[in-house]
Amino acid sequence: MSSTSTSPTAARARGGAFRRLIGFIGADNLSLMFALVALVFLVVVASGWFGFSGGDKFFSWQNLMNSLAQAIVIVGLLSIGETVVIVAGALDISVGSIASVGSVVAASVLVGTGTVGALKILPTNNVLIAVFAGIMAGALAGAINGLIVTQLRVNPIIATLGTLAAFAGFAFLLAPEGKPIGVVTQPQFTWLAQGRFLQDLAIPPLAGSKWTGIPVLTVVLVIVAIIVHIIMTYTDFGRAVYAIGGNATAARLAGINLSRVRVLMYMLSGGIAGLAGVLLTARTTSGNPVNGTGLELQAVTAVFLGGAATAGGKGTIFGTFLAVILVGVLNNGMNLLGFNTFVQRVALGLLLIAAVAISQGRQARAERVRTRIAAKE
Amino acid sequence: MTTTTADIASPDMAAPPNPPGTLEIRNVSKAFPNVQALSDVSLDIRPGEILAFMGENGAGKSTLLKIINGDYQPDSGTLTIDGERLSFSNPRAAHKAGIRVIYQEPEIIPGVDVAENIWAGELPKRFGMFSRTRLNHEVRRSLAQYGFEDVVPIHSLGEELSSAQRQLVEIMRALKSGVRVLALDEPTSSLADEEVERLFTLVRRLRDEGVAIIYVSHRIKEILRLCDRVAILRDGQLVAVRPAAELTDGEIVRLMVGRELSEFIQRRRAGTDREVLRVTGLRSNWHQDVSFHINAGEVVGFSGLIGAGRTELAKVIFGELPKNGGSIVLDGQETTIRRPDDAIAKGIGFAPEDRKREGLVLIRSVLENASLAILRRLSRFHFVRRGLERSIASEYIETLRVRTPSLEQEVGKLSGGNQQKVVLARWLAAKPKVLILDEPTRGIDVGAKAEIYRLIDDLANQGLGIMFISSELPEILGLSDRIYVLQAGRITGELSAAEATEEAVLKLAMVDQLSTVPAGAAISSEENGTA
Repeated sequence: MSSTSTSPTAARARGGAFRRLIGFIGADNLSLMFALVALVFLVVVASGWFGFSGGDKFFSWQNLMNSLAQAIVIVGLLSIGETVVIVAGALDISVGSIASVGSVVAASVLVGTGTVGALKILPTNNVLIAVFAGIMAGALAGAINGLIVTQLRVNPIIATLGTLAAFAGFAFLLAPEGKPIGVVTQPQFTWLAQGRFLQDLAIPPLAGSKWTGIPVLTVVLVIVAIIVHIIMTYTDFGRAVYAIGGNATAARLAGINLSRVRVLMYMLSGGIAGLAGVLLTARTTSGNPVNGTGLELQAVTAVFLGGAATAGGKGTIFGTFLAVILVGVLNNGMNLLGFNTFVQRVALGLLLIAAVAISQGRQARAERVRTRIAAKE
Repeated sequence: MTTTTADIASPDMAAPPNPPGTLEIRNVSKAFPNVQALSDVSLDIRPGEILAFMGENGAGKSTLLKIINGDYQPDSGTLTIDGERLSFSNPRAAHKAGIRVIYQEPEIIPGVDVAENIWAGELPKRFGMFSRTRLNHEVRRSLAQYGFEDVVPIHSLGEELSSAQRQLVEIMRALKSGVRVLALDEPTSSLADEEVERLFTLVRRLRDEGVAIIYVSHRIKEILRLCDRVAILRDGQLVAVRPAAELTDGEIVRLMVGRELSEFIQRRRAGTDREVLRVTGLRSNWHQDVSFHINAGEVVGFSGLIGAGRTELAKVIFGELPKNGGSIVLDGQETTIRRPDDAIAKGIGFAPEDRKREGLVLIRSVLENASLAILRRLSRFHFVRRGLERSIASEYIETLRVRTPSLEQEVGKLSGGNQQKVVLARWLAAKPKVLILDEPTRGIDVGAKAEIYRLIDDLANQGLGIMFISSELPEILGLSDRIYVLQAGRITGELSAAEATEEAVLKLAMVDQLSTVPAGAAISSEENGTA
């Protein structure tokens, strides 16, 4: 108790530059990076040894920019919203359905058919308003999730399982006779999916394919990731999210309004899912009610793989982002090597279980550390 | 230091050979990364004797208990009973050998009744089938044997039991399987005084029946009353083993920390007449017509048995539990408090009793925990001003002398006393007018307790009104300017510091139970219109 106790943990906190680097990146994120490198190695090099062809195409601009970087965008957005919800100790499995709603609403405004378009409340044909409407529809859906969880006190998994079905059905109801709304032709809108930044940069070709620029979609993903990262790290809302996930009772007793934070966080997750839906419309040039179906599984997988604690209170946008890339490379690699989508689905399901198992193991280890410290008393 | 080494080489070991059934601990050491939790501890735990383990947090008491219970294996050294070497790889093996450690929070299966909880793992069988009749019979018999049949209803579910009842269930479990060495870890920390007496009666009886008993507690008075010998640990070493009769409070504390007890509680009374909180006619699911007031600069103690409604009173005022009626006047203004954030905005702070479950976000940092209640004030356009946050947090972390390697340290990795200080730092930062402290010294070591007493005194002197809830009479008596006593959801009396004695407080706390007490002058005159 007296001044003699130079804390051993203080000594551990010092240490070399390498340790400090690990501390900065985070040990979990570092292992993700190793996993990513290992996976790329498997796809590119090892596939050749086992007689798979296609691995050599991985490092081409065509694959990296057109396939990989675009493929991860939709799931990436959903995962970022999902991270906020999971860090708060809850779950939102309705994000795929919300994306479908966002997709249909945006297309409906652009084309002028379907319930939203036919209402003529919003001026049709306006790209900005269409994007805005898609995001707002998602935020509204999120608010519904939040109110169900906070006011009706329904468990988040059950609540969003219910809205997963309800929103999916609602997306069909918004479309004329449940058929896709299309074709969306506004060039400013399709630019979202087809546009490229920095096309003119003199970057040498890779594996025989020429530099084509950075997809707008990917830039949107990165911007959203940065914004949400800032929200989670630097705002009172972000702090509250971590506190609620770590210990909701303690957070409430420290003056945090749990209901408000939970509703806002579902709105954030929903709004981002709505945006993902808008981008789906841009990519497919139609508002299809099935656009977002099944995406929630990949989103949840990425969040847990990214190091979020299943019990809440831990997790970062950066970790999720790395995990999204990892899942993207996995899918992309399997595509290149010629595995069919059924194999991919099996792999994804197993990956979710593995990610959660790793997360649980990490929590158990942390728990042991805490008990060990308690034992010293 | 030299005196303490002499203590170890006491005649204790050279003394008459140990009676059969003695648990002999020899040269036990245990290290964890960065800390030597136990070094070379040798100790005899004899049947028919109550041996106390004392020491500050981190002294090694819990590690020693965990080795005895088979939770940990010693790095070196041996445990033997009757010459037989014991080596437990897990608690089950220890239980088989007749050794049981009962921890502070006994493991009770919530959805299962008392009888099955007692027999958990080895339910009685008849013709290969579980026999409910035999189970109930056995449990009733063993409860009756120790006079607890009316204390623990055997059909109550585990989740319905109070702390005291849980402990009894755990003790009955131990007795059923023929315990030879029984260790109790802080058994009284969540018991009311009357329940403590019951427990003591049981412990003495077990001793007389030839059980070797280890009793771990921070409460010196209890130890001196109950135990036969006292083993004192400091920094993983056994500092002294002495008969309790030869020890005094001051002596024990000196051996533990090298400080005198008299320094502990000092209250420079500074109460003013300015009311900061007045509660009138408060009714809730737990209370009937509770009225009291707290002045600026006052420490007001709230005493009572467990279940009297003290914690609930704090939570009703704080907006965590619903209020059915009555008024709350803060700083002269009548206020409605709907939620804890209302209460905080209006100048009330509340450090809850169970800091791990209700006070702290254990997996987050010291910094985040310390600033949690003032996030709104720290933020501009919802962005937390991190420089300001760090400077405020480090100011209070330093004032309170929280021992942490950095502000980024996970709170769950700090010791109990330091965790409690982080909770207090949070409330100091919030600068409330009224601070509710619910059992602020529970489960923390003597040194940290002394610091918290000093802090309470300082805060009151700075003009805060402090609502001080505690089950430990000496600290209530030593610190409070006035004391309210609760019993079954009512205030049964108010005592000034001058009037307050352990006896007076206990009488008010147990007014119903003491039917023989005449409705005498002492009690009724102290009641201040709360009837």
